[in-house]
Amino acid sequence: MSTTPTESLNTGLNIQTMAEADDVLGRRKYIGMSVLRTEDPVFLTGRGKYTDDVHLPGMLHAAFLRSPYPHAKILSIDKTRALALDGVHAVYTEADFEPILGHFVTTVHREEVLTVDRPIMDSTVARYVGQPIAVVLADSRYLAEDGVDLIDIQWEPLEPVMDAEKALEPDSTLVREDLGTNNFAHIEFQRGDTEGLFEGAAHVFSKRFHHGRFMAAPLEPRGVIADWDVASDELVVWSSTQIPHLIRTFTAGPLGIAESKMRVIADHVGGGFGMKAHVFDEEALIPASSKLSGKPIKWIEDRYENLAASLHSKEMIIYLEAAVDKDGKFLAFKGHYIGVGGAWPAHPWTSLIDTLPAASLLPSIYDIQAVSTQIDAPLTNRCPSGAYRGVGWTPGHVARETFIDDIAREMEIDPAEIRLMNSIPDEPFVSVTGMKYDGGSYSASLRKTLEMIDYEGLRKKQAELLKEGRYLGIGISPYVEPTAWGSEVAKANGFAAEFFDAANVTVEPDGSITVTTGCHNHGQAHYTTLAQVAADTLGVSFESIRVIENDSSQAVYGTGTYASRTAVVAGGAIMRAGKEVREKIIRLAAHAMEVSPEDVDLADGIASVKGVPDKSMTMAELGFMSYYGGSSRVPGVEPALTSTRSYDPPETYSNGTIIAIVEVDVETGFVDLQHIACCEDCGTMLNPMVVDGQMVGAISHGIGGAMYEDLAYADNGQFLSASLMDYLYPSTTEVPHMEISHIETPSVVTEGGIKGMGESGNIAAGAACINAIADALSSFGKIEINKTPIGPSDVMDLIRGLRGAK
Amino acid sequence: MSTNDQSAAATAEERIVRITVNGTAMSGIAEPRLLLHDFLRHELELTGTHAGCEHGVCGACTIRLNGEVVRSCIMFAVQADGASIETVEGMANNGVLHPIQVAFQEEHGLQCGFCTPGMLMATQTLLEENPDPSEDEIREYLSGNICRCTGYVGIVASVKSAAKKLSVIQSNANGKA
Repeated sequence: MSTTPTESLNTGLNIQTMAEADDVLGRRKYIGMSVLRTEDPVFLTGRGKYTDDVHLPGMLHAAFLRSPYPHAKILSIDKTRALALDGVHAVYTEADFEPILGHFVTTVHREEVLTVDRPIMDSTVARYVGQPIAVVLADSRYLAEDGVDLIDIQWEPLEPVMDAEKALEPDSTLVREDLGTNNFAHIEFQRGDTEGLFEGAAHVFSKRFHHGRFMAAPLEPRGVIADWDVASDELVVWSSTQIPHLIRTFTAGPLGIAESKMRVIADHVGGGFGMKAHVFDEEALIPASSKLSGKPIKWIEDRYENLAASLHSKEMIIYLEAAVDKDGKFLAFKGHYIGVGGAWPAHPWTSLIDTLPAASLLPSIYDIQAVSTQIDAPLTNRCPSGAYRGVGWTPGHVARETFIDDIAREMEIDPAEIRLMNSIPDEPFVSVTGMKYDGGSYSASLRKTLEMIDYEGLRKKQAELLKEGRYLGIGISPYVEPTAWGSEVAKANGFAAEFFDAANVTVEPDGSITVTTGCHNHGQAHYTTLAQVAADTLGVSFESIRVIENDSSQAVYGTGTYASRTAVVAGGAIMRAGKEVREKIIRLAAHAMEVSPEDVDLADGIASVKGVPDKSMTMAELGFMSYYGGSSRVPGVEPALTSTRSYDPPETYSNGTIIAIVEVDVETGFVDLQHIACCEDCGTMLNPMVVDGQMVGAISHGIGGAMYEDLAYADNGQFLSASLMDYLYPSTTEVPHMEISHIETPSVVTEGGIKGMGESGNIAAGAACINAIADALSSFGKIEINKTPIGPSDVMDLIRGLRGAK
Repeated sequence: MSTNDQSAAATAEERIVRITVNGTAMSGIAEPRLLLHDFLRHELELTGTHAGCEHGVCGACTIRLNGEVVRSCIMFAVQADGASIETVEGMANNGVLHPIQVAFQEEHGLQCGFCTPGMLMATQTLLEENPDPSEDEIREYLSGNICRCTGYVGIVASVKSAAKKLSVIQSNANGKA
């Protein structure tokens, strides 16, 4: 197989020019402050406007008939009884959409990756439980669901493909006959003399790890409203999405409408966590239904649909090998990542959004000399799999960090010590897979977290408790999080993409400032944190800034918010645009006050002449002058105080360490997660309160994935986690108190030294929990945990296994 | 019976439901199967109360009915006829935030805001029943309200802060009386 695509990535030559707006931090007043969120009062008073809160006159409600079978041929669909129900207006299947709706064509632009071309509604073959087969439009959701129950379908069940490894065998049943294989992609990556290092190593270790299937499961499920005005041929879509502009770009083609005539509004979104950074079938089917019916259509996902048929993530079978010298120094790693995909690749990221990042981040903070990875991407008869907070870095991390604990126990080295002795230095570093870390606290954060829990004291306490028959465990998990998904970090993770994001900064006639970006605010406090950036960049008050996102017709184009990108990408674009606007304001003020621009300072919204405190102008005066000032404006200079700038940042990586402390009840298998300590480093912090909030929120996801949340399928393909009584969210009683500390190592490459953050809790907390459980049980014998989630019955199985082995 | 007849029969079963919401008498039409949260949200246009799971697990639909915390997603609207209901919309006073709401903003007790109305209703009831709860008591009481964003750290801090704010207000009121 050719290695051309991977060789073209990570050449080390794609470092961008240094930051432009390097003077902003020198005058910072708001950046770094825990400014309270301006978003909050709307939500606290119940005035949020989530998708289901929008009501349009004449609107019909949609309900989908979804497949109860994991794999079945559909022999016939009879709509007669459904259409006869009073209040049902239409029933559409693939045949109805076919004349007006194109296909989704999904791939990743690498030669190793296949392309799936499929109708957006497939009413002929069901390939997972929950697949939409038909849609009913009715006067209410209740009536639409009645209509669904009255559709008569003849199914011919087929053998489901559920075992991902067997799906790769040549004689396997095919999930998609048109592909001729179940393997969507086979990708290999090789750097350094892996084989030689393995041959010469004092120790070689190996592990198979099956990471569980879990999902974002935001508290607000998905929802789409479409209003296709057949008179003007304009389309407005409301969707609970993180990527309003990308929804437009990816659906306008299949819908046959110009992007300029399509508006996507995602006003308030009740959590996304990456799941809502996809383009879902319903986001095309509901607009198409509006076009066919001539009515506005609303579809609100219910919890069953969300669990069964939105997007799953992170399930992966991972084979790891490590070559280690006699002292415990890591020499080389090998990894084989088999992503357990669904019936088709999630659009547009595909299931490779898990496996490629997992493989790319295999070295993490460890200074190894060589690496070999392989990826396979089998389709199975499950819900499609795609991006969720931490993407494949999570399963890759859990497998690697539990493996390192296994190695440490085997070699009788302390798990903190083996990590510190193998850590890269706390400075910019190019990993063996080519990732260009922009400086951090890779071992300093680990040392600080050990101090936070009094590691040595806790080890003594652990030994004391063991004498009393109590099983305390400490789990250590240092991480690196690739952030700020732009062209460079995408390439570093195996996705060859070139794109950018933008921000506009505009002074209004009254001197207030409007900032728009193409990112999306759904809980991360952009309207606060980006206003902090804009205020400091311009030298105006925080209160004078308004940030607008979440509407493709109100904000500049951009690819949305996902992959811990907005602080860096939108923050950087605002710094660049804001710097230009600041210069324009100063030039205008200098002209009006008849001094040279070098003599004007702009701070707190007042342009004053240096050394002449009473000679000054307010932003209100300058704003009005720019619009209506006639000859008092600067001759020959475009008067508008505005700038739109784009930013596509270099690779930037945050880092830190999470430690979990558990006590295991060996009689019941109950794991009492007592404490989480974390030291994180995301470079320049915009708002420490928000950083803490992202950290603890993501950690709770990691706890869920490690100990509670499981999207389970029976061997016959039936979906077993169809309600929140089966799919267990951690609540206040499962998530412990957490202690977060910070080291600030500004990025050496990004605007403002900002690094992204927000996913590392979900990347690293799960491994901390699993390592703590294994540590607690290590006195029973040679323990190795090789799956997630680990519930009480798994703990009991582990204990029984260890006792039996003695 | 034809399907049309069934539908006609359902219409004939529609009821007028009269409830007091946040002190105001309101009424609307509900067929017997209409869930209370749908009635509040879509019939009375009080969209502050949210639906997250529709089977009483997540707590996003939490309201207060005759002073008790209830799940509006597992109760029919017709069952609430004659009841007095409190929702998040009644908490702030003419734009002035309630001390519990202020605490949630100050302690970063919300991110996406979707669980927040239910969380506020549950917190209000907790603090009426137990004005000075310990962290364990707070965690136990709120364990039926799921938040997917905050990891609960900010929420627990918000409830503690709200308890302090309310006790100061209470002691000031006692001092005046």
